[in-house]
Amino acid sequence: MAEIRTEEMLMNVGPQHPSTHGVLRLVVKLDGETIVDVDPVVGYLHRGTEKLAEDLQYTQIIPYTDRMDYLAAMLNNYALVHAVEEAMELQIPERAEYLRVIVMELNRIASHLLFIGAYLLDLGAMSPFLYVFQDRERILQLFNEICGARITYNYMRIGGVKWDAPPGWIEKVQQFVPHMRESIKMLHDLITGNEIFLNRVKGIGAYDAETAIAYSLSGINLRCTGYKWDLRRNRPYSIYDRFDFEIPVGKNGDCFDRYILHLEEMEQSLRIVEQACGQIPEGPVMGKVPKILRPPAGEYYSGIEGARGELGVYFVSDGKDKPYRLKFRRPSFVNLQLLPSLLKGQNMANLIAILGAVDIVLGEVDC
Amino acid sequence: MFGFLKGLAVTISRLPKKKVTLQYPEVKPEWPERFRGIHEFIPERCIVCNQCARICPTSCISLSGTRGEDRKLRIDTYDINFEICILCDLCTEVCPTEAIKMTGEFELAAYSRDQLYKNMEWLYQNYLRHSGAKELEAGTGETGGPGEAGVGAAAGGGAASEQKAGGTDE
Amino acid sequence: MPFFQWVNDALTWGTLFRMLLGGIIVLLFLLGVVAYMLYFERKIIGWMQLRIGPNRVGPLGLFQSIADVLKLLAKEDIVPAQADRPLFLIAPIIAFVPSFVVIAAIPWTASHPFTADISVALLYYLALSSITILGIMLGGWASNNKYSLLGGMRSAAQMISYEIPLGMSLLGVILMAGSLNIVDIVEAQRRFMWFIIPQFLGFCVFIVAATAELNRTPFDLPEAESELVAGYHTEYSGFRFAFYMLAEYLYVFAISCLGAALFFGGWSGPLLPGWLWFAIKVSAFIFFFFWLRATMPRIRVDQLMTFSWKVLLPLALVNIVLTSVIKYWVNAG
Repeated sequence: MAEIRTEEMLMNVGPQHPSTHGVLRLVVKLDGETIVDVDPVVGYLHRGTEKLAEDLQYTQIIPYTDRMDYLAAMLNNYALVHAVEEAMELQIPERAEYLRVIVMELNRIASHLLFIGAYLLDLGAMSPFLYVFQDRERILQLFNEICGARITYNYMRIGGVKWDAPPGWIEKVQQFVPHMRESIKMLHDLITGNEIFLNRVKGIGAYDAETAIAYSLSGINLRCTGYKWDLRRNRPYSIYDRFDFEIPVGKNGDCFDRYILHLEEMEQSLRIVEQACGQIPEGPVMGKVPKILRPPAGEYYSGIEGARGELGVYFVSDGKDKPYRLKFRRPSFVNLQLLPSLLKGQNMANLIAILGAVDIVLGEVDC
Repeated sequence: MFGFLKGLAVTISRLPKKKVTLQYPEVKPEWPERFRGIHEFIPERCIVCNQCARICPTSCISLSGTRGEDRKLRIDTYDINFEICILCDLCTEVCPTEAIKMTGEFELAAYSRDQLYKNMEWLYQNYLRHSGAKELEAGTGETGGPGEAGVGAAAGGGAASEQKAGGTDE
Repeated sequence: MPFFQWVNDALTWGTLFRMLLGGIIVLLFLLGVVAYMLYFERKIIGWMQLRIGPNRVGPLGLFQSIADVLKLLAKEDIVPAQADRPLFLIAPIIAFVPSFVVIAAIPWTASHPFTADISVALLYYLALSSITILGIMLGGWASNNKYSLLGGMRSAAQMISYEIPLGMSLLGVILMAGSLNIVDIVEAQRRFMWFIIPQFLGFCVFIVAATAELNRTPFDLPEAESELVAGYHTEYSGFRFAFYMLAEYLYVFAISCLGAALFFGGWSGPLLPGWLWFAIKVSAFIFFFFWLRATMPRIRVDQLMTFSWKVLLPLALVNIVLTSVIKYWVNAG
């Protein structure tokens, strides 16, 4: 019998594909349904934020950061203003710090919620996506009240925050916390126990802490391997050292650990929000800052724990009111580098499961 | 073994619950006071200081003014290009006289790009549609058209009395 | 209804006309069933997700499916330039025709003018329904699209694997009733009890295998949207796409009818007329499929195969053995 000729198939997943979470393109070499090689192509959403920033005053850059990780814009805002504040050694009023922590943690919850929804949608379950959107909607509504926008907040300013919380806002946040706890329980019932889901994520896309560190992963992608590293704890910034919260870590470094860590981190964020709402003092929300911001000449880096990992801002100032060079260390982009090595030898269905669990936001990858 | 049954219970328990869909074109969402929608512009308040145009991160505001006989600057043209405006609110933050403010209007879709260029007249009409109408009801705002002066009316209106934390910018 | 009693008549022009008329009536009825099944699917899943579901076309959105069908019919019928043209054109028809033909074996009421009283009805159902696989596979192959090809291959593998446990699970029922004729099986249940009770294991296998056979969530891999875009019908548009959808939903209806007839006593039930009982039972089945779709994530392709061959098939075999042993023991004792 003549030998059957087989050949590898080159398949283009994306840039228009339902589950590449935006415009990521993966050039996948397939043998049957087994992946032989993957080549991620990024840059379809590149807007040149870093270059544009060189021509903008520091305050003007803040709205641009909203558009990077558009699911957690508060954290992006903070990363930038924090870096400038560090450079200029500014004093931030207490109330502003508390408001910042509250909105950042709420935003982290919103971002994690969307991860869970989108991940389950990738795995074929439709309802969780709509359920998490309802909770996320409440968070967005809160943001809308405090800063007038739902996605692109532009809320933080160098030296404080733009607005104080409107009357009753803190109470609304406090009411939201128990509601969100209920929702997390519901998500556990709906998803975590489901055998089909467990079979699809347990043991899939596993890597160890050594690999994770070698690839410079951060955030949940690092913590899922059991390595306890959270900048809020390890290098406390803002007022995070005042709160009592835990850093959940995984064990196996697989997709399931990454999924469950998102849920557990939401619980911890709720704890922080609860404590912050209880402790928040009265006072001004804007510190004394010079009219024109001119960080002293030099190089500065500051990293915060973003929703997806270490979100760093590095900038070089030459003493002017505009940065000489600004670089964002975007966790999604760094985390994405591990993808090709994770995917080799997997099948098409696992591609989606693994890509989804890496939790990328294309706005941030391409910046 | 039968963890998925819990999931089934969750989905069916939602079946009779109240639906959350907003019937959008018929029912408009209710925006909070601080909502950042399309701008409104009150020409008589403007002192042509050009701060809004300078702070705009996308340079979407262009304006021009002339010095009148009383040595005061008067605004002649004021255009916002909503193709590139990102509704970041920095212009309203720096405006010393609250001549430019943001409204709750958010429907910007248009059939052609040049419709997204909004001039002073349109922005003033937008003011009349939004805060202007509110101020008239409250009886605190100015009553006349753009010809009548009223620069010092910043204290009037609900939106204007909003506590503001600004001051970072020039 | 003597007008439609053509079975024992000689084949004249008049009989032929009446046969055709009957067929057309059933076809139109089924189109209505499918249209409102789509509507209810969207409504029920919408409600479960706290949405409203279709509500724009007509009162309560009742004409939504009709509008969708009209839209599909009005659309351009695109054939990709590199596609295998004849196969591409004929594949949806190959997929659709058997799904309509199998309905002939379903007894809707005690007196069933439109039902072929076939003595090997179950065999007929299984045999014809497997032809659809051919249509789906050909469609996937002829599209000359990589996603379609993967989708087509997946469905072929999946449907062939799950046909075996499906057939095996029915064997238990056949053993209990002693007949392949669905009418006889329903009659047997009226005398004895609903087969769901003695054949519970068989029913479990049946419902899982049926879901897989229908390509519905959690077994909707052939059209796994997040992986394969739209699976085998990625390249199809217009009424050819409608044919695939129609085939899919007709099978949902057919399998639900089969499940109701084989395990829940078909049209039998107190008080209400037979057709209503049948409709209620079928609706319950259909609702169950929708409910599953609102809840479940998608199973992975290799696990799907493993599940079929290593879990469902042995279970079905155990069920057959148990049924035969018990039946022999009961008959002997």
